[in-house]
Parts: sequence; C-alpha cells; structure tokens
Amino acid sequence: MDRYRIMVIDDEKIVGDMAKISLEQDGYEVETFLNPAPALSRLQETKFDVVVTDYKMKGIDGMEVLKTVKTLYPDTKVIMITAFANLDTAIEALRGDVHDFFPKPVRIKELKASIRRALGIQ
Amino acid sequence: MNKGFVGRLRTALGLSESGKEQVPPFELLFRRFRDVLESNNRAIEVITDMGEKLGGDYLFDIVYVGSAYSQLADTLTRSMHSFDLLTGSRYPELRGVYDRIDTQIREMMYGSPQGQDRMVVSLSDITRDMTHTVGGKFASLAAVKNSLSLRVPDAFVITTHAYDTFISSQNLIPLVEALDNGTEVNEAALDELRDLIAHATIPREIEEALHNALENMRTKCGERCFLAVRSSAEEEDSESSFAGQFETVLNVPLELRALEDAYRKVIASLFSHQSVNYQKQLGYRIGKLKMAVGCMVMVDALSSGVMYSTSPNGGSGTLLINATWGLGKAIVEGQTDGDFYKVKKGTAPELIEVKGGKKESMIVTLSEGGTALVRTPEAIAGKPCLAAGDIEELSRIGMTLEGHFGRPQDIEWAIDRAENIYIVQSRPLRIEQEGESEPASPVSLKDTGPPLMSHRGIAVQKGAGVGRVFILRHLDEIGNVPKGAVLVSRYDSSSFVRIMPYLAAIVTDVGTPTSHMASLCREFRIPTIVNTGEATELLSHGQEVTVTVGDEGETAVYKGVIEELGNRADMHSVTMEQAYEFRKKRYILRYIVPLNLVDPSIDQFLPERCKTLHDVLRFIHEKALMELVDKARYGNTMIREHAAVKLELPVPAGIIVIDIGGGLNSTAGTEHASFEQIASFPLRAVVKGMLHPGVWHADAVSLKVNDFLSSMMRVPDIAFQRNDYVGYNVAVASAEYTNLSLKFGYHFTMIDCYCSETARNNHLYFRFVGGATDITKRSRRVQLIAEILKGYGLSIEMKGDLIIGRIGNVRRDAMEALLEQLGRLLAYTRQLDAVMHDDFAVERYVRNFLKGDYEL
Repeated sequence: MDRYRIMVIDDEKIVGDMAKISLEQDGYEVETFLNPAPALSRLQETKFDVVVTDYKMKGIDGMEVLKTVKTLYPDTKVIMITAFANLDTAIEALRGDVHDFFPKPVRIKELKASIRRALGIQ
Repeated sequence: MNKGFVGRLRTALGLSESGKEQVPPFELLFRRFRDVLESNNRAIEVITDMGEKLGGDYLFDIVYVGSAYSQLADTLTRSMHSFDLLTGSRYPELRGVYDRIDTQIREMMYGSPQGQDRMVVSLSDITRDMTHTVGGKFASLAAVKNSLSLRVPDAFVITTHAYDTFISSQNLIPLVEALDNGTEVNEAALDELRDLIAHATIPREIEEALHNALENMRTKCGERCFLAVRSSAEEEDSESSFAGQFETVLNVPLELRALEDAYRKVIASLFSHQSVNYQKQLGYRIGKLKMAVGCMVMVDALSSGVMYSTSPNGGSGTLLINATWGLGKAIVEGQTDGDFYKVKKGTAPELIEVKGGKKESMIVTLSEGGTALVRTPEAIAGKPCLAAGDIEELSRIGMTLEGHFGRPQDIEWAIDRAENIYIVQSRPLRIEQEGESEPASPVSLKDTGPPLMSHRGIAVQKGAGVGRVFILRHLDEIGNVPKGAVLVSRYDSSSFVRIMPYLAAIVTDVGTPTSHMASLCREFRIPTIVNTGEATELLSHGQEVTVTVGDEGETAVYKGVIEELGNRADMHSVTMEQAYEFRKKRYILRYIVPLNLVDPSIDQFLPERCKTLHDVLRFIHEKALMELVDKARYGNTMIREHAAVKLELPVPAGIIVIDIGGGLNSTAGTEHASFEQIASFPLRAVVKGMLHPGVWHADAVSLKVNDFLSSMMRVPDIAFQRNDYVGYNVAVASAEYTNLSLKFGYHFTMIDCYCSETARNNHLYFRFVGGATDITKRSRRVQLIAEILKGYGLSIEMKGDLIIGRIGNVRRDAMEALLEQLGRLLAYTRQLDAVMHDDFAVERYVRNFLKGDYEL
C-alpha cells in the first residue's frame, strides 16, 4: 500500500529534521528541502499529498510555492508555517487557498492533526 | 555578638559604621525591589517557555530561539540594574559571571571562532562547562576523576581550538566545507582530505603546547610511560555514542613525532567513510563536528573490559561486566569472547551469573610502542580474570557512576598489576525505555516448523527482522550487502555501521554484548544476536529468514517469512534526540535552566558559583530580599515612616508586612492591618493556616537545661529582643507574591511563593533551619517536616537540620491549599522539638498532623 507523501520546505535544517522525524513516526513518507527551487522541480516530477512550507524564505516565498502547487495539483493541500506571523500574511495565505496556517514555534501535535484533516483521515 | 547586632542596626538606620552612608528612602527601596521581582518573574516565564518549546514537542527555528533569548537577556540586564541600585552595587562580580554565561550561550546559538583559546588542557583542569573544548568523552572522564575521585589515568586533551587551528593552517577549510553539499557522500573528496591531514604539518603553536604537555607527563610518570591517544569529538559520548567510529592509537611513546602522528591519525578518522556515514545517519552536517583528542597514560593492564551499569535487555537491578586478559580493545572490537558476569545491584552487590570465556587471544602492549594480538598463555586462557573482590569493587564503581551521571553508563575499565581499578571511559548507555518499541508479538509459530537456530548466543537488541541472509566472509564485501538483508558474520565489527540502518538484523558467531557494534545496534535498534558460535554454519547465504529477539533475551532464527514478526515501519526511525541540529539548539538550555544555587545559608551561595542564568536569578532574588528584610527587621524607621504595617492577628505571630503593591487593603499611613485586610493571595493563605483552630499552642513548652543552653548558643540575638521592633517576622507581599521570613521560637523559616492564574509560572520555595534543643530532637523535627512536605509533593533536600523544599507549576487553588497546610505546619511545629523525645514520636506526630489532630 502506498504511504501518504509529505513535502516539508523550510530554510532552517532543524525544522525539516524535526518534522521528518516526527512525521515518519506516524508512517508518512517525508521529503525535506532547504530551498524552494529544488522543491518545486521535485514537484514537477511527482505528486505529494501535503506540502508544509515556510512562508518567508530567500528567493521564492511560501505564496509562490502555494501557487505552483495548486496549479500542478489542485487537490494537494498546503500548510504554511511562519516565524513572522501577522494578520496580513495570514489573510493573504488564507485567500490563496491554504489549508492551514501556523505561527512558529508550532506544536507538532497540532501540525499532525492538521495534516490528518488535510488527508481526510482521523 | 553585641557588636554585630548594633552594626546591623546602625546600617538599617542609615548610620553605617562610619556614620556617613545614605540609605535611600524606603519607598524608593520598595520600588527597586519590585523592579527586581518583576524582571525576575518575567525571566522565569521566558525560561519556562523556552523549556517547553525546545522540549521536542514543537517545531521551532533559530528566529524563535534568538528572540526568546534576547528577551531573557533584556529582563536579566534590567534585573541586575535594579539589583545594583538596591544593594549599592555590593556584588560587582555578578556581572562578570553573567557575561561569561551569556557569551557561552550566544556562541552556541550563532557560532563563534573565539571561545577557549588553549591548545592543550590537563585532565585535572577540565571543568563541567568545557565540553565543547575537550569533547564529551574527556569532559565525562574529568568529572569521574575530579568530582568522584575515582582512579582515572593521567591525561591531557588537545582541544577543539587546536583542531580549528590545525584545519585552518592547512587551508583545509574549503575542502571540509565542500563536504556538506548534498545527500551523497563524496568518497573521493574524503580520501583526499584524509591524505592531506595525514601529511599535514602541525602548526607551531600546537607543537609547542604538545611539547610542554609531554614534558609535564615525563616529570609525572617517567620515560617508561606510554599514551593512549583517543578521539573526543564535541558530542561524542553524549546523546550518540559514536562507539568505535574514530581512531584510537594505543601505546604511543612520550615523543613529539609519535604523538603528532597519532594526532593526525585520529583527526583523519573524523573523515573516514564509516564515520561520515554514521554522522549523516544521525543528521549531522558533515564538516561541522569538531574533534578534540585525549592523550591518556596507558594502564599496564593485567585485565580489562567493559561494564554496563544496568543490563540493557531486561533485568533492571542488575549490571553486566565483560572482562578479558590484557587490553580491553579485544572486547570492544569483538575479537575475543571474554568472561561475562551478571551482578545484582545493591548495598552488597551479589554475583548471580558467570559465563567463563575461552579468551584464546589477548592484546598486549609492546615495549617499543604499539600493541599486538597474541595467543593467550595456556596457564591463564580459560581462567576467570576477575576475583570476587574485583567484581564487587567494579560493581560499586558502576553504581556510583550511574548515580553521578543520572543514567546507565557504558564503562571501560582496566586493572593494573598492583590491582588498582582504573576507569578509562564512561558514557551513556542506550537502553530502550518501556514501551519505546513494541515487544515482538506473541504469535503462533506452529506452521513455521522448528527454528533453524534457537536459544543460542546473547541478545543485544530485541525486536524482529525479516530478510535474506548475507554471510559476510570479509569486511571488504560490506559494500555488497543489499538493503534489508540479515547480516550474518563470524566476527562483529563497528564497520557495520555504514549499512546498519538498512539491515533487518545482525547475527554473529563471536562477539560480546558490550562491544562497539552492540552499542551501535542498540542506537539504531537493529535486532541483534552475538556469540551464537555457529550461525555462519547453520544459516545459508541467500536464505530467507526471520530473526527474533524477545523481551527476556530469548533468541531464535526461523526459516522463511513470519509476517506477524516482520519488519515494523518504525524499526529504523531515529528519535528526535538524535537530530543533531535539535540537540545543538536545545543544548543552550543547559546554561539557562538548571538550578545549582540551592542553599543560601552555606558559603557556596556566591556570585561565582552561578553556572546558569537561573542561578543568577536566584542569587539576585535572595540577596535583594535579604536587603529588604534586614532593613525591615532591624529598622524602627520602617514602622515610623509607615512603610511597614503590623498585622493584628488573634495569635502572637508578630508579623510586619512590607506591601510592595497590592499586598494589603489598607489606606496609606495606617500602622496596623487585620487578617481581612491581607490582599496578597499567598500570604493570606499561609496566615489562614496559622489561624486554624488548635494549631497554635499558646503555652511555651518547658525547655530542659541543655535545650536552653543550646538555644542560647545558636541564636545570638535572643537576648536583645526587648526592643519592640527587633526580631519581627517580615512578610514582603504583593498581590501575587509573598516572601515570609519567620523566626518562631528558635528556628527560622522562609516561604517564598509566587501564585498567579498561570500555573506554570507559580512556584513555592520553603526553607527551614535551626531550632533550640539538642541535635537529636532537632533532627526529629526536621524529619517530621520533611515527611509532611514530601506528602504534599514538594521535592526535598536535607542537610543537618536544614530542609529545602520546592515545587512549581501548581494551579492556584492547589497552591492555596498547600500554603494553608504550611501555615498550620509552621504554627504546629513551633515548639515541637521540645516534646519529641523518641523516634516514634516523629511518626506519631506526622500521623496526628495529617489527621488534623494538633495536640502536643
């Protein structure tokens, strides 16, 4: 049986590492990226069920990741996390059809719950 | 005595010994104290938050760590500023201490080329905060030698600073940095780097330091002494063992050239294919790890080996010792079987199981330097290498080390010809916690036929693995082992680590559960059986098998796939602890959270003893309070200026309250307040307890003659209590805080409590000391109070007749109940020691108190 595939993009290694370890414990297949560019080309090759992305990154930001994902795979869910949470970014993200939006630090339990909701499992 | 008191009174009245010093008006004093208190509370909140967010339950980034820490640093700086104003800068050293801790934390967060600038440090000079300079292995050894006074061979460490100097002097930095650029390990680049290191010139400043260290060593132990040169990487022996990953060069003579060669070898091993693979698997960024190198005097070992202070596979309460003749290298590298002893831990350790090994070969030192594997002389080969006394002493050492480090230890030891036991390594032993991995499920095995092998060998890591057997005839073939294979080998080897995460199970003919490979198997949780004798004969290459290792250490290999036992998805998942970046970030908490300054009544309560920011906070808090309380206790002026208010209570508790904001409902200028006017939540609760019917005994219990003499000697100020306001009990109070210093009868009690709606910010600190009457009765009362406090969930420390109790993270209503009980207890125990004539009394009074029977 195929496992759910989750992509995590964050320019800090610690976020990807921790996310990978904790999500793999729940049986997900996880790929992590420090830069959005290679992440997006990986998305061209293959589909992921959920993409968890940092909002603010060098070069390409989270909104662009969101747009690309939605163009390629309208049913892939995107969860945005950011260290610089303010109302404007949250509103912009929610308008862009983001599944969920979390300020960092985000409780791993909550992220996992959000992913389960995105996948329609409980 | 008299002079001390008068002196304090003069100070309090603003008349210093010289008569010139100005005491600030009390209002100002309170404001400063309140500033200190507010900053401290804010700082504790930030510390608590960091502890929570960095605890592994949150995804966090450096932005969070940075901003939380700068908040903490800001509040602490503010607190120190107010503190200096309050005390007239009486503790100038505190700033230096804070700056040092702050620098350490910032270096850790943002990295820094500075830090310790010594090239070589001697083992006896290593302190707890030097882990990053001397590496984990030698930091632990230094603790064993310097704190526990156990026998550790003399040693010096070539620091991580020397490593930086070495790497940068050879222009190796770009090569090292280039290693961290992708997922694949570039083996050619590693080979080139190791070759450059092997031929590199040692920079002059390192060479000079080595020369001096060798001179020193010669003076101490003579020409005929040799060194073991061993790795001590930054994180080695901390969360990940790195067991057997780096080079060790044994029996190196005290000559500069030889030492330099050994140093280069050890440094180069940081970049071996095997160790780089291991680092990658644990999430390290290649090239980031720094290596210190320890040089330790070789023990002329008659026998040596490994001890696990707790058995890794079940049987907690027991420890394991593996021993062999000669050097212990033979055991950790799995080259000999060794003797195996299982000991039941306890005050009198008891040997419960012995398996004698054949010990056909042993490793010995050569007089010209170096070592050799030789055939063990027949006279001793089959003989046990430890006597009963050795086993007992080793066991005690094992328990001591486990106690000191607070977790099970993997210990390397050696016994010299004079029968002295030396500790040459102590590192955390990875043991699976209950429930950490599912036990092999009890499935029906009826249809599978008899096992190919069962009840053979020694279990190293429990679990089950399914795969095709790969019989490894030679280490060179290791690259050919396919993913998911069951590796079957004659010997065990730490080289297996390269492929370990991809293996279903490991089975060996020879080997011990205490080898490096065994440590790694536990780290990666690969089901492993060693010392089966003939697995390479019983199993055939390519055959599909299921390997099981049960909870009780029972082992079996079945033909074919038993689905129920098969590979579980989580088999190789590393835990959060093993993510390097996470560990590194979380490491800063070590410089923030732990509290080392506990007892202000002993001499060690000094600025220079502060090791963490929590200690700094604690120091400031305690000293700021003392400043205020001292002034209040001996200051008539306080009362005259209406800055303090006397509590009018139905019992003669004699408490004056210094209201620092919301502590009392009283109009300015009043001199008295009733119980109803106490607005401070924690103070009200304590006083309420004191007023509880029956707990306050009005009649003084008669003291016997020696009680009275002893109380005279212990409480010098007792003769001067005629003065109305001297010796008052003082409460400093705000709406959510109180510090209550009480002198009832002949003992001192202090309660410091913050209690708000947010449970995690709440704390209670309780200190009890002294008392009249002779020491036996005093200690009975201390025992009684400790028993009762423990019952309330406080953590207790005791020393003589001093008790310190602490509790935190308590809900407001629970704290209220607790404070009220404390109030009752204080009133009840005021004179209790005078009537506690025997040990049974303790139990009786505890029982009575808890029942609510307060008769004496």
